[in-house]
Amino acid sequence: MSQRIIFNLLQFLVVLVFAPLITGVINRLKEIVQSKRGPSIFQPYRDLWKLFHKDEVISEESSWIFRATPYVVFSAPLFVTLLIPVLTTYPLFFAFMADMVGGGFVLALGGFFAGLAAVDTANPYGAMGASRTRMVGFLAEPVFIIVFFTVSFTAGSTIPYIVQKHWVSSPAAFLEPSHILLIAAFFMLILAEKGRIPVDNPSGHFELAMIEESKALEYSGKSAALMKWGGQMKMFVLLSIFLNVLVTPWGLAADISTGNVLLAIPLVLFKMFLFVLVLAVIESSLAKLRLFRISEFLGSAFVASVAAMILRLFAL
Amino acid sequence: MNIDIANIQILDALNSLAAGLFLLCAFAMIATRQVKGCLRLFIGQSLFLAASALLLGLQHGSWHLYGVALVNVLSKAVLIPFILHVTMPREVYTRREINQVLNIPISLLIALVLTILAYYFTIPVQQAIDPQYRGHNLPIGFAGLLLGVYTLTVRREAVPLLLGLLAIENGAFFAGIAIAHDLPVLVELAIATDGLIVVFIVGVLIRGVQKQIGTTDVGALATLKEEVVE
Amino acid sequence: MSIIAILAIPLLAAILSFLPWRRFPSAVTFFACLAVLVLTIRVAIQASCGVPVVVAPKWIAVDGLSALILLLIAFVGTTAALYSLGYMAKTCHEPKKLRLYYANYNLFIFSMLAIPVLVEPTLVWIAVGLTTVCSAMLVSFENTRGALEAAWKYVVLSLMGAAIALLGFLMLFAALQAAGGGTDTWEGLIAAAPRMHAILLKTAFVLILVGLGTKVGLVPMHTWLPDAHSQAPSPVCALLSGIETTAVLYVILRLFPIMKAVPDFHAGTWAIAFGLISTGTAVLLLLRVRDYKRMFAFSTVEHMGIILFAAGLGSATAHYGAFYQAFSHTLTKSFCFFTAGALIISTGTREIASIKGLIRNSPVAGVCLLLSGLAISGAPPFAVFLGEFTIFKAGLAEGRYLEIILLAVFVAIGFFAIMWHINRMVFTTDKGDPPQKIRLPASCLVVLVISSLLVLAFGLYVPAFLQDLLRLSAAAIGR
Repeated sequence: MSQRIIFNLLQFLVVLVFAPLITGVINRLKEIVQSKRGPSIFQPYRDLWKLFHKDEVISEESSWIFRATPYVVFSAPLFVTLLIPVLTTYPLFFAFMADMVGGGFVLALGGFFAGLAAVDTANPYGAMGASRTRMVGFLAEPVFIIVFFTVSFTAGSTIPYIVQKHWVSSPAAFLEPSHILLIAAFFMLILAEKGRIPVDNPSGHFELAMIEESKALEYSGKSAALMKWGGQMKMFVLLSIFLNVLVTPWGLAADISTGNVLLAIPLVLFKMFLFVLVLAVIESSLAKLRLFRISEFLGSAFVASVAAMILRLFAL
Repeated sequence: MNIDIANIQILDALNSLAAGLFLLCAFAMIATRQVKGCLRLFIGQSLFLAASALLLGLQHGSWHLYGVALVNVLSKAVLIPFILHVTMPREVYTRREINQVLNIPISLLIALVLTILAYYFTIPVQQAIDPQYRGHNLPIGFAGLLLGVYTLTVRREAVPLLLGLLAIENGAFFAGIAIAHDLPVLVELAIATDGLIVVFIVGVLIRGVQKQIGTTDVGALATLKEEVVE
Repeated sequence: MSIIAILAIPLLAAILSFLPWRRFPSAVTFFACLAVLVLTIRVAIQASCGVPVVVAPKWIAVDGLSALILLLIAFVGTTAALYSLGYMAKTCHEPKKLRLYYANYNLFIFSMLAIPVLVEPTLVWIAVGLTTVCSAMLVSFENTRGALEAAWKYVVLSLMGAAIALLGFLMLFAALQAAGGGTDTWEGLIAAAPRMHAILLKTAFVLILVGLGTKVGLVPMHTWLPDAHSQAPSPVCALLSGIETTAVLYVILRLFPIMKAVPDFHAGTWAIAFGLISTGTAVLLLLRVRDYKRMFAFSTVEHMGIILFAAGLGSATAHYGAFYQAFSHTLTKSFCFFTAGALIISTGTREIASIKGLIRNSPVAGVCLLLSGLAISGAPPFAVFLGEFTIFKAGLAEGRYLEIILLAVFVAIGFFAIMWHINRMVFTTDKGDPPQKIRLPASCLVVLVISSLLVLAFGLYVPAFLQDLLRLSAAAIGR
């Protein structure tokens, strides 16, 4: 019993501590692919440390939303961590409190508040970024829903742990065509949700072209640190769902032993590193899409997910 | 005995995987704008066709499906791109097709509807052939055929049109290798090399069109009509 | 043995056409086609006794129906080759291009000859694909923008249809395998039909009808036909319109006895529906044509519709009428396009509105145009009238009053449309100076005379040997 509580806390800590590392690795890899040296992979930690020790400047025109948002954005991914398999294949304490749809809602809550806060300060770039994020968001909604539907239809449940068990158990189920199409659709979703190329350029400085980044432009000091960290944790959580449930459901601890659970940490990080490798290659070889082409991109994701659904339905 | 059944299951699963990727290539061929991208997707589709032929050959133990796979890889993944690169002027491949008849999201939705239709029509047929067979070859092959026909109607640029034509053949053949796996070798080889001849002829035509009107935008060739063209 | 020779001679001629002596390609083509015609007549006489001529039991055999089609191909091939002698010499002056033309011509004839001779359905599909491939260059021969557009549409649509039909043929084969095997020939399929799954046969039939129907020119897949059959050089048009569409329709008709075994599927209804739609659309579009070669092309669509309609009616008389219609259509349509070629040489234009007073300016072309127009639109005493009359009689005997009335209305509209256009061209007075009289090449004149006489003759008298062939053909699809 107490073991489970400890594992829960361990999951929490893993997400909290290793999220900036993933971002650091992505940035370093991108620079290496472009034949540069790149910053150290621990740079995001140093950035967070620096930001926590700086003064904050808050606009007088902003309301309580602006002040509350960093906390919401920081805690939303942490709540979702309780629901998804990060280290273990068996459900931990709060796993049945919400299913995938609930987890999606909680993540969306963070995005919602970030969008509102961006409009709150009357900074024009913030409002522009917020509206664009909403556009990408509503185009991504149908894909999310269809993916969740197909996944739960395939596995017979909407709880991530049970879904993961379905795919880890039989290679035949793993190699189904609907599974591959789902992976493709979900991958495109991650690119859209987290603002990676080809949807948005995360390392760009040109405010007129920003989609995700401009929501956090107005923050400074502690709030900026919380927003940054929250964003990095959202990436980690999405990757956990993608990798641990869909793509590589192996390597997680299958029994209640501390050793196995601790072993699962480097394995999960290794899987994320492989994904980050693929992501770095894709980011360095594609160009950012023009805004109206994002609907084509997400349309393709939608079609892939519906095709997965059809293939699954008709295979009966 | 158990190992055999497990083997067959894995082969079935891999075959379904190849079928899924085949369908993905067909969708992507509708969604892509670049001529070069279309060509790469076609090569990918042919490779998945060859993979499926190989897996079916392993399942049924028929060696001439292996031959079909090999011929497919050679002709569609190696020779056809080579012929296209040699016969087409260099600049055709730098083209992006900006205006299709319908825009891409709508095309993708129509492609989805066509896939559903393909499944609807072919599931009874599949059950008539072999009630035990649960593979995806026939429906996805037919879907590939319908998607190719759709590509022919909306594309205006010549090389993607040609690739759509070859995609129709890919789809028909993909369905065919699953249902008719005892065809005489001569016939199967002839069908597999049919693509080469098609590419040659259409390539020569495209060259002629390029010389005449200066661009390979064959959607602009629409002057032979009954109405009075002022 | 003669069948192998029939197939080998055009191939040889194609290779020989590349030799660079001046008049050699055209001469070698003509003599090759003449030799093929003689051999074909021999084979047809042999087959008309009722016993098929078999060379390789599972691959090559010629029964009555195949012999009829073979005869038609050889005849049109010969007349078009003779016509090309004069026509191409007059219109094309590059010897290299001419050599390519004759080589392609021979290959085209070869691929068409292969269709009725082969009995394995998938091989027949390959032959149909080959006809498209070999005729692509012929259609785009004149290298104008219109010709290239026509060739492009022709090739793309035909290949698309062929790919769709491929799936149909593969399904047919799969049905045969699932029914316990058997020889994969037309005969074998008919024998195994009662054991084959109904749904497989139905799907295969629809796929092949749609796929090969694209090549035949059935509406709504006909959009390439007016373009290709008008932009090609006239002897090629005669081949395309006259016999190629009929040869592909022959393949579709071979499916009918197989479909008879399926209990509640009326292949005939599909055929009647497609036939009526094709005929109706074609005659309505005939009213609006502005180019006389397109007029003849639409008339081809009309007649393909009529033949399919007749095949769908189902009775022996109807099938006899269908094949007689095919026979007479081939003769008459090739004559029409030879006339069109003569018109192009005399007047230099393809537009109906620009030609007036033909009867005064080029009397030969004018008379031929009048005769061909009357013949193709179904006026007595020409051959086409006899065919249509037989079909009407058969339909009324079966009790299909509504369909026959519709068909009669369509044919009447077609008659009116064609004669109106031809009347404008032949009889109206030309206000300006008469153009310079251009002499038609001798070979063209010879072909025109022969064709017109034949078209007239076969409307009045059908020789017994031909009657036997027609009866055998009707029996072949009526079982």
